[in-house]
Amino acid sequence: MEHTAVSTAGPPAATGRSKPSKWKKYRSGYLFLLPATVLFILFLWVPIVKGIVFSFENVDFVKGNTFVGLDNFRTVFQDPEIGVSVKNTLYYMGLCLVIGFWVPILFAVIISEIRRFQGFVRIAAYLPNVIPLVVLYGLWRWIYDPVGPINAALQWLGLGQVLFMTDTHWSMASLVIMETWQQFGSAMLIYLAAVLSVPKDWYEAAEIDGAGIWARIRHITLPSIRNLIGLLFILQLIATSQGYQSQLAMLDGGPMNATMTYGLKIVKYAFTQQNYGVASAMGVLMFIVLGFLAVIQFRMNNREDR
Amino acid sequence: MQKKKLPALLLSVAMLGALATACGSNNNNNGGSSDASPSASSPPASSPAASPSSSEPASPSASASDEKVTIKIYYPTADKPELRAIEDAKIKRFEAKYPNVTVVPDDWQYNVNEIGPKMAANEAPTFFNTFATEAKMLVEKGWAADITDLWNNYEHKDDINPVLQNQFNLDGKVYGVTQNGYVSEVVINKKMLADKGVAMPSYDWTWDDLYNIAKQVADPKKGIAGIAPMAKAGDGGWNWTNFLFEAGGEIQTVADGKVTAAFNSDAGVKALDFYKKLRWDANAVPQDWALDWGGATGAFAQGRAAMVIAGADGPLQQALQAGISPQDLAVYPMPAVQAGGKHTGVLGGNYLVINPNATKAEQQAAFNYIVFDYYSDDALASLEKSIQDLKTKGQYYVPPHMDYYKPDSEYGKKVQDLLAKYDNAFKYDPSEAALLDGKPEAQYNTQDYYSTMTNVIQEVFSKKNSDSKAVLDKAAADMQSKFYDNIKVQ
Repeated sequence: MEHTAVSTAGPPAATGRSKPSKWKKYRSGYLFLLPATVLFILFLWVPIVKGIVFSFENVDFVKGNTFVGLDNFRTVFQDPEIGVSVKNTLYYMGLCLVIGFWVPILFAVIISEIRRFQGFVRIAAYLPNVIPLVVLYGLWRWIYDPVGPINAALQWLGLGQVLFMTDTHWSMASLVIMETWQQFGSAMLIYLAAVLSVPKDWYEAAEIDGAGIWARIRHITLPSIRNLIGLLFILQLIATSQGYQSQLAMLDGGPMNATMTYGLKIVKYAFTQQNYGVASAMGVLMFIVLGFLAVIQFRMNNREDR
Repeated sequence: MQKKKLPALLLSVAMLGALATACGSNNNNNGGSSDASPSASSPPASSPAASPSSSEPASPSASASDEKVTIKIYYPTADKPELRAIEDAKIKRFEAKYPNVTVVPDDWQYNVNEIGPKMAANEAPTFFNTFATEAKMLVEKGWAADITDLWNNYEHKDDINPVLQNQFNLDGKVYGVTQNGYVSEVVINKKMLADKGVAMPSYDWTWDDLYNIAKQVADPKKGIAGIAPMAKAGDGGWNWTNFLFEAGGEIQTVADGKVTAAFNSDAGVKALDFYKKLRWDANAVPQDWALDWGGATGAFAQGRAAMVIAGADGPLQQALQAGISPQDLAVYPMPAVQAGGKHTGVLGGNYLVINPNATKAEQQAAFNYIVFDYYSDDALASLEKSIQDLKTKGQYYVPPHMDYYKPDSEYGKKVQDLLAKYDNAFKYDPSEAALLDGKPEAQYNTQDYYSTMTNVIQEVFSKKNSDSKAVLDKAAADMQSKFYDNIKVQ
């Protein structure tokens, strides 16, 4: 590499026989970085900066934007529905942890213990991930139907009917169950890779010492993937704090705003009320909160690498 | 080693070039085909056809110019093959008559949530469909082209149905062309009523009649509802407004330059109490009542609701496509509060709006396309052929209940005569149509009002003891502070 760098530097320039400048030395590398840098600037940093600028403006694509100071932020703090949406988002994040977070870990551990047909089970567990969202929503509408399969089973067991979509106590949980079913497969694959990378001889030694499955999981598997669990925990918090897709598609934030998340409220401000200024202000506030989570995730990532 | 640098450099430059091209691709609605419209990027003023006051013949059927233009047109979605067939035939005839115009179908359907990004990204088609409620917003945002000059040069402008067209004429200017319209009606599955031994009411029916029918037909254990009032997104408020109007209420009042919420009146309370009765006393609405237009009309088409409220052609089309016989379907006006009262329903409509970002030549071509089939015998022949094609496939044609032409016009009679020849063309009963009383939707923040009212409806459907007056007052106060107080009526 050293040879390459020197040889590509070309003949010494006007500076005489001094070392070639860093730019000349790494010119090819910089050029390779350029497309990615441009992409990042155009599609990541420019929108972020624009979003911050928009949050202080009344956005009008035709007549031009006008500076409105902190008005948009004032609107955010004065809108009682935004308070509701924050509560709903925290509730949604909590439900996703309680209902969904442990599922991929459990499946990864179980699948790692399976000796036959492991590949088949792995694919079967991942399959819901590839279902198109439209099909997913249609399928679960049927599953949750007042006379659908779950309610038929409940009736058969002599239990009461559950209105999964329209009962405000159930609506958010119903969406979380649906999302967990669809999404646990990808996290499971990550966990599974980590579980399978634990040295086999540790398990063999433990078995010789008389450790059962539970002891092996508790004392070898879980400690080995502890950092990964922490990392995916933070990533899940970041992802679920922005959730709005299923809430929008299945219930449009209803019934009675029970599934109106903060992300969905941003969508409503931006695209239903065409108030991009307030939507941007909400985005900036979220950016600040998520920034903290991102820092934690970044630190954990570094620790993991070390 | 020196040789390796060149490909690296070229690759980088190529990637940057590709990126720049992708970012900078022009959005001048030429369907991405620069070949098709080499002159479209030239300033509109330089085009000979640019000036709407040009001395071209007044008739839109006359070619505006030989300038090559490409227009992206509003096109039906894939689930409506019968409408696509009619549109395809129209495109063919249009391109034969205007060889300089290339027509590119675009099946984007107007959506309140999408129009902002579409216009901001300059991705909206050359003309797009919209609803009566959107006129004010589109004009204020600058998203509807002022087509007054094109309109004034249109030979049939005085023959257009004024009830519908007036909703897109603002301050003496024209911003859209009516396609068709509706007065909200109740579509009934007669077979479901007959199966329960429930007699069909007279057209001059009342809220009590609707209540009793819904109650008797409903079978919650089997998941069957007597009626499926919409209660999701803005559709819930839109559906309920029919009852508000029948009870004599208004959405808003405009006086002294101010807009004031009016839907929390006694009439509003009466209408909301009726919804409560349907939900809690009759148990006649679907148990998963959070249904939007698609959900409610879908439930009707599946035989899971005996009645649905909408512009009749949509639910009829769905029900017929789902295999329900036309003999088992009936269209009724909205019921009156009391016998002999008015059968008022929301008057709405579909309009076509031209994209103001299009060049003048494209706007002219778009206008020509919009009115191309209006009052034409070619259109009648094409319609007849489509109905015949549908017949061979065992499918039905459902005409809109109100069309762009005046119903008693000569052309209107021609259409009726044509439809009368085919048993696969759905026919509305004139005696029912005579009872329809259309009331236009409000012009200020109507979609916001509909969404707000949907929340109110969800509350009365969720809570048995909700206080109609209190929830309406709260919703009215919200609408007032969030939206109406910011409006200064000129």
